Amino acid sequence: MGFFRGSVTCTRYRVAGDPPEDFRETVRERIPRYAFRRLREDSDQERAVGWVNVLDEFQIGFYGDEFFKEPYLALSFRVDTRSVPARALRQYCLEAEEEVKAREDLEHLNKKRREEIREGVRSRLLRRAIPRSATYDMAWDLQSGVVLFGSTSNRICDDFSELFYNTFDLRLNSLYPYALAYELLQEEGRDPGVLDDLQPTATAGEATA
Amino acid sequence: MNLVERVQQTEFLGREFLTWLWFRSESGEGLFDLGEVGTVEVWFEGKMTLEADGEERGDKVTCTGGTRLREARFALTRGKRVTQAAVRLIKGDDEWTFSLDAPWLNLSGLKTPKVMQDAKEDADGLFYERMFLIEQPIAVVNALFSEFVRLRVSQEWEQEELPALGDWIRRGAGQGPA
Repeated sequence: MGFFRGSVTCTRYRVAGDPPEDFRETVRERIPRYAFRRLREDSDQERAVGWVNVLDEFQIGFYGDEFFKEPYLALSFRVDTRSVPARALRQYCLEAEEEVKAREDLEHLNKKRREEIREGVRSRLLRRAIPRSATYDMAWDLQSGVVLFGSTSNRICDDFSELFYNTFDLRLNSLYPYALAYELLQEEGRDPGVLDDLQPTATAGEATA
Repeated sequence: MNLVERVQQTEFLGREFLTWLWFRSESGEGLFDLGEVGTVEVWFEGKMTLEADGEERGDKVTCTGGTRLREARFALTRGKRVTQAAVRLIKGDDEWTFSLDAPWLNLSGLKTPKVMQDAKEDADGLFYERMFLIEQPIAVVNALFSEFVRLRVSQEWEQEELPALGDWIRRGAGQGPA
């Protein structure tokens, strides 16, 4: 989901730890290393993920340090996937099996043989499939350490966190109510341990039921 | 304790926050004075989901705005708490709408005020304007949640806030399901 048109959906993270002193130099080399690369037409790879320019999802690769937008480091996480529709796979498999049976004069094919045919057909069809492409924007406030990411899907968030770690060598901690409350109490010099003593105030509902 | 366990075990904080925010919005004409963040209006409108805690977890009620919110008020009296709510936020002349969830306090479907910058003429200008418009409601939610947390860990919660919240919930019983 993009931050720059339409409605926005986002998950919040805090970067664990501080970036190293030579961070700005190293990311100039590391971000292009993890830039998005298209699925190759001669491969049966099903998924490709990587970084693209936050202001141009179709730009493959980076020309400079366009990802620095002070105080942010902003990128888009691009995910391309391709798959073979189940019904089409079944149809092509049946045709391929009939062809083998006729050629080799067989009445039945064993399970192993049918699986080999299925894998061959799937791989052939996958190369012809048109990838679906999606981008999810990310803005990392380098001053506060807060990262906004444009998805709430568990799978996309997990893949994003992994690419973020691979690229920057820094983990992302999810910001959720307990974590936000913990940070607040810590900032105000209070003991965040009081949060662990809190119990749900179900009494408000029970008293009124 | 891993993250998922911690989130589940403390999810009541988010639910109580949304329930308290609705109560404060209804009883205070929607107005909140948030110090440095400024004065804002927060209104619960549109879709709202409520869910029971504990053993009855999973028993959900979804209401869709207007008079149907009476059903949501009634559900509170049955021990349910707000798990997701459509919120309208007004700050000065600007207005945002979004859905806020209890487990993560994530904002989804956020509609911001119209941007003035043109993507073709000034792409970076558009970036900064949109980021400003996205960060504003997040700062407001943070400030509201901070106010809730300060209250929740104070004696004032048990002595003043909880009885007032209980009274408001009880008044919802008279509204009954539609």
